[in-house]
Amino acid sequence: MSTKPKIKELLNETGCAHNTSKKIACNAPTPGATTGGCAFEGAQISLFPYADAAHLVHGPMTCIASSWETRATKTRWAGRDLTQMGFTTDISLNDVVFSGEEKLTKAIDYIMENYSPEAVFVYSTCVTAMIGDDIDLICKQAAEKHKVPMVPVHAPGFVGGKNLGSRLGGEAALRNLIGTKEPEKTTPFDINLIGEYNVTGDMWQYSHLLDELGIRVLSTLSGDGRVADIRTAHRAKLNVIVCAKSLISLTRKMEERFGIPSISLSFYGKRDTSNSLLQIAKALGDADLIARTEAVIAREEAKLEAKLKPYMQVFAGKKAVLNTGGNKSWAIASALQDLGIEVVATAVKKATETDREKAREYLGEDGVLMMNPGAEQAKLIDERGAHLLLAGGRSLYTAIKKGIAFADVNQEKKKSYGAYDGLLNLAEDLKNALENPAFKLVARRAPWEK
Amino acid sequence: MGEVINKTGKPLQVNPIKMSQPMGATLAFLGIDGCMPLMHSAQGCTSLTKVYYTRHFSEPIAIQTTAVTDALAVLDGGDYSITESVKNIGKKVTPSLIGLYTTGLPETKGDDVAGIAAKVDSPIVYVNTPDYEGGLETGWGLTCKAIIEQLVVAKETVDKKKVVILPHVNLQPIEVEKLKDMVAAFGLEPYALPDLSTSLDGHLGEKQSAISSGGIAVADIKQLGDAALVLSVGDSMLKSAAALVVKNPNMEHHHFSHVSGLEATDDFVAVLMVASGIDLPRANIVRWRQRLQDAMLDSHFSIGQTRFLVAAEPDHLAGICQSLYEAGGKVTVAITTVDSTQLAKVRADKVVVGDLEDAEKLADEYDFIIGNFHCEALAHRLHKGLALRGFPNWEEVGNQLKNDTLYEGGAYFLFECANVAEVWRAHKIS
Repeated sequence: MSTKPKIKELLNETGCAHNTSKKIACNAPTPGATTGGCAFEGAQISLFPYADAAHLVHGPMTCIASSWETRATKTRWAGRDLTQMGFTTDISLNDVVFSGEEKLTKAIDYIMENYSPEAVFVYSTCVTAMIGDDIDLICKQAAEKHKVPMVPVHAPGFVGGKNLGSRLGGEAALRNLIGTKEPEKTTPFDINLIGEYNVTGDMWQYSHLLDELGIRVLSTLSGDGRVADIRTAHRAKLNVIVCAKSLISLTRKMEERFGIPSISLSFYGKRDTSNSLLQIAKALGDADLIARTEAVIAREEAKLEAKLKPYMQVFAGKKAVLNTGGNKSWAIASALQDLGIEVVATAVKKATETDREKAREYLGEDGVLMMNPGAEQAKLIDERGAHLLLAGGRSLYTAIKKGIAFADVNQEKKKSYGAYDGLLNLAEDLKNALENPAFKLVARRAPWEK
Repeated sequence: MGEVINKTGKPLQVNPIKMSQPMGATLAFLGIDGCMPLMHSAQGCTSLTKVYYTRHFSEPIAIQTTAVTDALAVLDGGDYSITESVKNIGKKVTPSLIGLYTTGLPETKGDDVAGIAAKVDSPIVYVNTPDYEGGLETGWGLTCKAIIEQLVVAKETVDKKKVVILPHVNLQPIEVEKLKDMVAAFGLEPYALPDLSTSLDGHLGEKQSAISSGGIAVADIKQLGDAALVLSVGDSMLKSAAALVVKNPNMEHHHFSHVSGLEATDDFVAVLMVASGIDLPRANIVRWRQRLQDAMLDSHFSIGQTRFLVAAEPDHLAGICQSLYEAGGKVTVAITTVDSTQLAKVRADKVVVGDLEDAEKLADEYDFIIGNFHCEALAHRLHKGLALRGFPNWEEVGNQLKNDTLYEGGAYFLFECANVAEVWRAHKIS
């Protein structure tokens, strides 16, 4: 049987709220009017953080040349961090004509000889999927030869967007890794963190609290992850999905197959972090654990509030417009509110139905959910008297024209804004933005402009 | 000029510095004002490329995709996805030109982009740039050639003052501007094709992120046929130059492998002196030459005792290695991406068409690394000196204003290398 997942099945995920309504969120892209990454990128995002595995991209140069070393997914893996390496078969015209299978086999052999990874993930791409290279067969043969898991990942870019690709990545892990090994021991408080990629060390902002509470992270998909651990993931008591809707297909299947319930959480901002810790404790259903969690939350919040005090004075009365996408449309809003900043508008153009509902919940009736942020944000800054615009780089000019401070929402790709300590990082960056004279100075008229 | 190792015999690339042809085509089209680069690809190639350049330039990058899906890949010969793209782009903006270029996907299925482009009812230039052949330089070169072939009107007379500069892809926006300034300093009228100096130079202004904001105007490209002089920089531009000179039998062409260092700049200036009839260049050009001479002497002690690894595309490599050579630097290892006529000419002991894994294996042979962002991890791991050059540089800001060329840029480049080398040596001793 082919290990290729059925795309249609994944698109009709029953776990997605919008599939019970008539709204279609996972439809085909429009030629000439599409933004956003492809399925390959999505698969890469969900699986690359396994730093003890090699990630071999079977395709032409664009796929890896433009994407390796782009995500700061931190790891404590003691060996060479294979996530931050680029492996590709770099197929040539000759391979397109005569098949790239032989090259792929040799490439796997080369990687095993030179890097001895715990596993090799082999990613098909548009061209190699189209010429029909049989990566399933090659992976099977290589696994027999090298005695480590070889995981074929069927997420060529042309099957869809990033979200679908992440699902396909999860699917590959489920079919080839999860449940293939027993853990050395189990505890009543074993969880899997699904969709937490530990970008900039986000996971480490709260994982020490889980440790302290006696909640064991049995495995992750895939932040600071290990191949050996994800193979034992079927023995966890709970799946915790961290800000990743794309992986609910995986957790639903794990519930069906292994009886593992799941909860979906965010560790962004104070309230969400506290709430998430408590929800995990409650889901694990131990009264003592819940009591201990409440104590830890109280302690951490008190610690945080003391440290936030000087910032709160700076932020008092400040209003912000937020222009980002997906779950960030409410997650960052929540963090801003934790800092005492009023969020007057947030963009929901690129958010799902559930995200929009959450955004409404956080912003209240007076908040504006922008469906066309590019055009709306400038007007809203004026109308609501906003002091700060949080958006991607292309909106910088809007802030300059309005003479208000700007913060690049993508900064979080360099620095963690996760959990309690991350909120302090966010506070410091926003304070710096508000106090930075550059925004007003660059808007000065030149001597020759009258 | 040393040994050239063209095939390492590896079945894969490990830590590549090579980039793809469609990525080069993207940049070339971004050097045309009001252009909409349209990549005929699945959506990811476009999205990754957009993010890649956004991070390098810290600027919005205009690009669109034909968004080929798996079903379309089987059923459509490109007609639907391309014509539909053009239609959808037209709903939002009116580009002065649509730059249509391919990737491996449509090339594998054999789409006839030339045929489809002929049927499109908008200004369009098409080019075949599969990513399973060539690299960034060739993609840029092929695109420039296609622009010339499809847009420039053939002429027979020449405008004596008009000069066309054909810069290779690794010349950053400010370097293209400096080339234009140098030509203008001789009373000539320069045009660069493509021209990133006014599009991706990082200037504050209201930008149409949907189409390129700046670059050479399409109307100007059409009229390049009466230029008296064509100056190509980098061997990847030779085919573009050949395509241009056939447009006019009276055009004169001069080729420069690069414009780095004293010798190459002297050659460039000499051509401009003849073309303009000016015997003595402006005072500041003369002054900058003296400063470069001084820089070579001031930096020679440090650079002369430093062994370099340079990892760059062929045309870029040639320039960097020449600059270092002139101050006594020994490039013991050069890593490059694709084969080129440049390689045999490069001032290096060894030129390897390979990747950063090859560089890592030769770690004992060099002290200092010059290369792109991916060299940073290598330099840290191996404790080497480092100067970041080439695409991508996601670590530093201001890439678009880094000037290594002509007399002026050459002086700054040598000083930077000498200073970084000294810091590295001090750390090594302590």
